Amino acid sequence: MINYKEFVLDNGLQVLVHEDPSSEMAVVNLLYKVGSRNETGGKTGLAHYFEHLMFAGSEHIPGFDSALERAGGSSNAFTNTDITNYYISLPAVNLETALWLESDRMLHLSLKEKHIQTQKQVVIEEFKQRYLNQPYGDAMHHVRSLAFEKHAYRWPTIGEKIEDIEQFGKNDLIDFYRNHYSPDNAVLCIAGKVDFETVRGQVAHWFGEIPKGGHSRNMPTPEPLQNEKRSKTIVGKVPTDALYKVYRIPGRLQQGYLACDLITDALSFGRSALLEQKLVKGSPVFASCQAYVLGNIDPGLLVITGKLEQGISAEDGEKALDAVLDEFKQETFPEKVLQKIKNQTEAMKTYESVSLLGRAMRLAYCGYLGNPSLINEEYAIKMAISGDRIQEAANNYLRDENASVVYYKRQE
Amino acid sequence: MRVNRSEAPAFRIPDQINLMPPEHRTLAGGIPLYYMPSPSIEAVKIELIFPVHYSKAVLEKPLLPFFMLHMVLEGTTELPSEALDDFFDFHGSEVEVISGYERQGLSLLTTRKHLEKVLPVFRSLFTSATFPEKSLARKKSQKKLSIGIQREQTSARANQLIRAALAGKSHPFGYQATENDVDAISREDLLEYYSFGFLSRPQLFVTGNLPEDSISTIAKSFEDLPLIVPKNDYFPVSRTARHREVEKKDGALQSSIRMGKWMVPMAHPDFPALSVFNTFLGGYFGSRLIKNIREEKGYTYGINSFLSNLYGSNYWMVAAEVKGGHGAEVIEEVYREIELLTRKPIPEEEIEIVRNYLSGALLANFSSPFDLMGHFQQVHFQGLDLSHFSRQLDFIKNFEEKDLKATAGKYFEAGEMQEIIAGMV
Repeated sequence: MINYKEFVLDNGLQVLVHEDPSSEMAVVNLLYKVGSRNETGGKTGLAHYFEHLMFAGSEHIPGFDSALERAGGSSNAFTNTDITNYYISLPAVNLETALWLESDRMLHLSLKEKHIQTQKQVVIEEFKQRYLNQPYGDAMHHVRSLAFEKHAYRWPTIGEKIEDIEQFGKNDLIDFYRNHYSPDNAVLCIAGKVDFETVRGQVAHWFGEIPKGGHSRNMPTPEPLQNEKRSKTIVGKVPTDALYKVYRIPGRLQQGYLACDLITDALSFGRSALLEQKLVKGSPVFASCQAYVLGNIDPGLLVITGKLEQGISAEDGEKALDAVLDEFKQETFPEKVLQKIKNQTEAMKTYESVSLLGRAMRLAYCGYLGNPSLINEEYAIKMAISGDRIQEAANNYLRDENASVVYYKRQE
Repeated sequence: MRVNRSEAPAFRIPDQINLMPPEHRTLAGGIPLYYMPSPSIEAVKIELIFPVHYSKAVLEKPLLPFFMLHMVLEGTTELPSEALDDFFDFHGSEVEVISGYERQGLSLLTTRKHLEKVLPVFRSLFTSATFPEKSLARKKSQKKLSIGIQREQTSARANQLIRAALAGKSHPFGYQATENDVDAISREDLLEYYSFGFLSRPQLFVTGNLPEDSISTIAKSFEDLPLIVPKNDYFPVSRTARHREVEKKDGALQSSIRMGKWMVPMAHPDFPALSVFNTFLGGYFGSRLIKNIREEKGYTYGINSFLSNLYGSNYWMVAAEVKGGHGAEVIEEVYREIELLTRKPIPEEEIEIVRNYLSGALLANFSSPFDLMGHFQQVHFQGLDLSHFSRQLDFIKNFEEKDLKATAGKYFEAGEMQEIIAGMV
């Protein structure tokens, strides 16, 4: 059980407090409900680029990081398709410093021309380092653009292409900030050696005067249904072929999502999982093979990906994968596998709870999902799903008409 | 009430840390056991760690330790490969391979609930592995693929080149394994190394919320480990004069730069000053290198410098992936920043920030018993104990600028500096 209490400020800021007196530290995790799903085509990568600018100073605090470091803290952030998440760790006695910093950049960010230009270069180098200058690094760019036609999930959070990032001007940034960085579009989670009543007063003091947003938030276009299998072949300078086969699945809070999550556990959680046993250890087809769900708030993807053994083509890899999946869909889901997955999930919950930052992040995320109690309850909901329901979901979603495939082939 | 945002809220910096050392005992067979209690946490971690000996066999076949360790989970005399995988997964437990240049072993992550069941099987991995041919063939082919991928990554390539530059191309730290080295490994080699090259001078580390009888059970299960006594085979690293190596890769979009130099061991009296100097230079997000190369020039997503323990000494390194064609320029900038820090006065404000940041970071290092055990190992393997961190905090709070400058002048001269540029040049 992870304990927490919550309150909401008049301006709409949702606050969650997790008291853990065993730590000397405090974590302040501020989640904004904006990600690359709120971007538009031709202007992709903005949410992540903006995250960089949030560290470039605010009206009363020219240096965000140095002000935090002076109080013994450190911080970082990440952006994904759905959210932008900022977190600070610092000695718990200095909690107020973190609140001062976060509230000032929510109220009035500086956005100086120099920072706009340099961070643009930094983000472009990040784009190259992680997605272009790596074997298979751009694979998810191809996968997304194939699996989605309308929805903003059709590009990765880093952006569709470097040119999109190059063309952003100050006005794009000001608009993005106004529309998305307001207290009613955020969840604040405070955890560690803190006292709820004290925190309530401090948060009201620092965040209470920040006005509501009420501006227009850019919402993604719903994705039309898919009726037939899509595929694409990429040829690149890679050591072996790779296969990316993805299936469209329900959104994070929709019926069927947790069953899909359990499908990927059966396929890929641990060394005894089906794909590892059948396709990697059991036969010389794949050198590695994993399955996972992306966990998006809007309908998203179940991804199966693997690197082929030398000399085996991505197309043959797909045939071997399909055979394993067909068997999986037809056979009754074994009780023993169900029990194994439940044991693994339970143990994982224990391992994850060791880190204070991890607890704070997950609590904020459950707040974003609209129900913080999910942090304790989702496990039971997931565990109550029967083998029949998992098998039914496999038959529903793991169909070729619902799939997109990228064959990433080695240049001969 | 109007909120005064112009003034920073008052803050305090922790001025001491009280770290509880792990409980120490010695097993009947002579193995030391260190136990760190973790009240209210159900997770249990057991690590059995051995030094790596550079025997003749290992020097001839450098991938021997790697394959031996990664093969122990491929079946024991009691349980074949799939049964073993099923067993650990069914009990929500994970076995991880520890495979470093100096130390190797296995670690088990489990929960109190499953410990009793899982322990004997974990123990069997150290003496009952069977090394089946079929699994070995699969592992070899996977290793070749990862060697192929690394060859395409300029960052991985730069890491290989700097290690070779620091230790020499034939030293295990600098040696670059190839597909031929993979082919050279046979099942017989692995069995030989497993029985006669592996189980020497182990240390056992246990973290968890365990009653005394659980700890005794753990102790009992390892006391009969058949230990070997290897020959002393210290393999010194070769030191060379300043050198730059440039390796062009067609199609690369960035330049991977590395700089490295041997320094002094953690226990050396100059080490605290060296470590703090490194923080100013490239050891935190507000460092001179981040400010210059990332925040001012926009040449990189990240640049950092660090000190790392190895072979009873310590090496210093700078690493960054920078905008294509700017590698040499960034290396010159690193020398310039070292020069500026060493010769020009450091602003009071910057000194205060580093003092406070390091004090907070030190506190954050020990936020869970699992972190504490990790940091205990870090100093323990250097022949130190947790009091090292109290002395470190003391130094952080009280150092003077001149201490840093004197130390930097001693260790950061360009002589012996190794430089690598890989990728776009």
